[in-house]
This record gives sequence, C-alpha cells and structure tokens, in this order.
Amino acid sequence: MELPGRNGLQERTGTDKNRTTTLPLMHPESNLEMLMARYQAGDFAAATALIDHISPQLYRFFVGQFASRPDADDLLQETWLRIHRVRHTYRPGEPVLPWFYAIARHVRVDHYRKAVRTTARERRLEEMSQLEATSPGETGKGDDLEALLAPLSESQREVIEMLKVAGMSLEEVARATSSSVGSVKQKAHRAYEKLRERMSAMRLRRGQSEEKS
Amino acid sequence: MRDGEIDEILKNAAGRTPKVEAAVLRRVADSIQPSMRRVRPLPQTWVLAGGLVLICAAVALAGAARAGFYGFEKMDLLERALIFSTLGVLAWVAGTEFVNAMIPGSRRRISAGGLLGFDSVVLVVVFALLFHDYQTEHFVSAGLLCLATGVLHAIPVGLLSWLVLRRGFAVNSVSAGVVAGTLAGLAGVGLLELHCANFQAMHILVWHTAVLMVSAAVGALVGTVGRFRGRDLQRVS
Repeated sequence: MELPGRNGLQERTGTDKNRTTTLPLMHPESNLEMLMARYQAGDFAAATALIDHISPQLYRFFVGQFASRPDADDLLQETWLRIHRVRHTYRPGEPVLPWFYAIARHVRVDHYRKAVRTTARERRLEEMSQLEATSPGETGKGDDLEALLAPLSESQREVIEMLKVAGMSLEEVARATSSSVGSVKQKAHRAYEKLRERMSAMRLRRGQSEEKS
Repeated sequence: MRDGEIDEILKNAAGRTPKVEAAVLRRVADSIQPSMRRVRPLPQTWVLAGGLVLICAAVALAGAARAGFYGFEKMDLLERALIFSTLGVLAWVAGTEFVNAMIPGSRRRISAGGLLGFDSVVLVVVFALLFHDYQTEHFVSAGLLCLATGVLHAIPVGLLSWLVLRRGFAVNSVSAGVVAGTLAGLAGVGLLELHCANFQAMHILVWHTAVLMVSAAVGALVGTVGRFRGRDLQRVS
C-alpha cells in the first residue's frame, strides 16, 4: 500500500478496484497527471490509484505537523473530500503535487483554526511545548520526523517536509504554499541552520553518554 | 554536519512515520465513489484573465456612457494613452493573479498585499507625472463623490468576477478577496478617469487611488466572511 515519494506507481486498472495490474510506467510525474486526467473523466480506478499513491505522502505531511494519528486520519479524509469536490480546478499540464499539497495545507490550516477555538488547542500546545522542551535524544524517539522538526516554525516545517520528504522542487513548493521561490529558499536555509544546530547538539550528547558508559 | 547528512536523517525519519491504514484509504475511496462523474477542467489562465479584463472594461465604459465621458474628452492624447494603457496592464496583472488565487497550486508572482501596493504606487506615479494643478478646491466633497462612484462601480465587477471564477477554489479566501477587490478597484478607477473632469492633482492622487484601497479592503472583508461561512457550512454538513 505504501508507495515511496515519486519512485514508482502501481496502477489499478479497469472498473473493478480489487483487480490490480502494473502498467509499464512513464515518468512518475506525468503518470500522476495522466491519472488525474482520468480521475476528472470519472474513472474510479484512476481515483483509487491516486488515493493509494498520494495518501501516504499527505499522511506524513499531517503527522509531521504534530497531528495525532486519529487527527491525521481525519485530515486525510477531509482532504480527499475537498480534492474530490474541487477536482475540476486541476488543469492538465500543470504540476500535480503542488495542487494536492495546496489543498492539504488549506485543510490543515482550517483544522488548526478550528482547534484554536476549542480546548483541544490548549492540549495540543501543551503537548507541543513538552515535545519541544524535551531533547529528542532523551525521549528515545529522537529520530522521529515530528521530533526532528520540532524546533522549526510551522512554515519551515512544511517547506522541509515538501522539499526533503515529499521530494518536491523549489518551484513546486512555492506553488503549493502560494509563495515565491526565494521565500521557500530562505525558509529552507533557516530551517537547515536550526536542524544542523539541533542535530550537532544531539550527536555531541550521544558521544558524551557513550564515553561515560 | 553537512546538508547531505541532514537529508539522510530526514529521509530515514520519514520512513519510520506511522503508515496510513488500508482501511482509511478504503473509506476515502468508498466515500467518493457515489459522486464519481466526469468534470470539466477550468479553462486556461489567459482565457479567464481575459474575461475578467473585459468585465472591467465593460463596466467602466457602461458607467461612463451613463454618466458622461467628461474626463476622457478633457484629456490630451498623451494622458489618454498613458492612463488607459497603464490601467489595462494593471487589470491584466490583477486578473491573472485573481485566477491564480482561485486555483490551488498556481504560480503566484506577487502576494495580494504586494499587488495592491504595486498598483497603487504605479497609479500614483502616473497621475503625479501627468497632473500638475495643485489647487484643492472642494477637496473633500468632490473627493467623496468620486470615491463613492468608483467603489459603486467596483461592486458589479467584483460580483461578475466571482461569477466567472465561481468554480474555482481559493485556498486563501482573504488573499483572493484582496486581489479581487484590487481588480474591481481598477475598474472603478477606470470609470473615474473616463468620467471625472476634475484634474486637480491632489484630487486624483488621493481620491481616485483611494478607490483601489477601499475596494481591496471590501474584498478582504468579503474573503474573511467567506472563510468563516465556509467553515460553518462544513460543520453543518
């Protein structure tokens, strides 16, 4: 079920969603565009292939933004409902991933705003501050994506996730975040400075504890 | 620590992220299956932007036809060429940006605030270059009248633009509202340039340009209301 970034794509064909066939693959990006075009044409098999391929990336995106697992499930479902409702806004020939991520980002922002108005926000902020206050090296979960990205601001986190985890280009990230390439570059640069600092400190601490033992 | 090492650590960490459950994916697929049907993709940006510019021109011309082309008649050739070509280019840029704001994942060349600022500065510069009568007779009364006329004509442009792009989806409705307001405001300014025969520099610099600002502010307000209404509708559904 889990498919890596842009490396491969097993595509379901025909009208029966249980029947899967691997088609000879074109360039993965153009393959996604082709699936999207078929989805717009009302092909359910193409829609399920897209769901299978894109969902793991979107799920990682939500989890990386401190969404709990049930929240990430809800956000994913909400995102797909929104994608389905506005699927006509994708225009053939345009990059697919920025279109998906722009909608996912919108859903996440909506979810966050809603959470702000409820007590869930207090709980989440508490969790976040605990996570940030605790050194990743000490939790034993220090290598988790959420823990690694914890010191970054929200906008830096999403840029790093799209660039380094989803493997999108600077131009695609700029499109997904409705900003300029320069702004994306700047956010990525600042995020890397913070990550370098954080990871060097973690490495140093690990070295010291190994020496002691 | 080198960037390559950080990349590697991030990739490894991403690989350990909990996987999305197959049941969730099935649920998503099942939820969209009943409404699967062919949809018509939106037209290309230039087609939509062209439509928006035509709406601006039509509303400005219709307004001036009703109220009189006094401003246009009083202008010399240079003033006509410079003002209306500038308005045309700015309307094209604003129209393109409005289309981009209504289509997720589009390339944004300028932010909504940047567009408003850019358009305002360009108009101020053009007006300052062309008009040199620095009297301020009936500054407020005549100004308020022009402001009201400009904004009133911007409203139909905003509504018609929304009609053209109603199938779009603004990921940031406030930003889309500002851009739509800027576009509508340009139509309002266009009407004033065609109609208003008051060529006092301060009148044009302050009150005609203010149409753009007020219209963009109204657009932002509508976008904000739309965002909250959208959320309420989601909650109901």
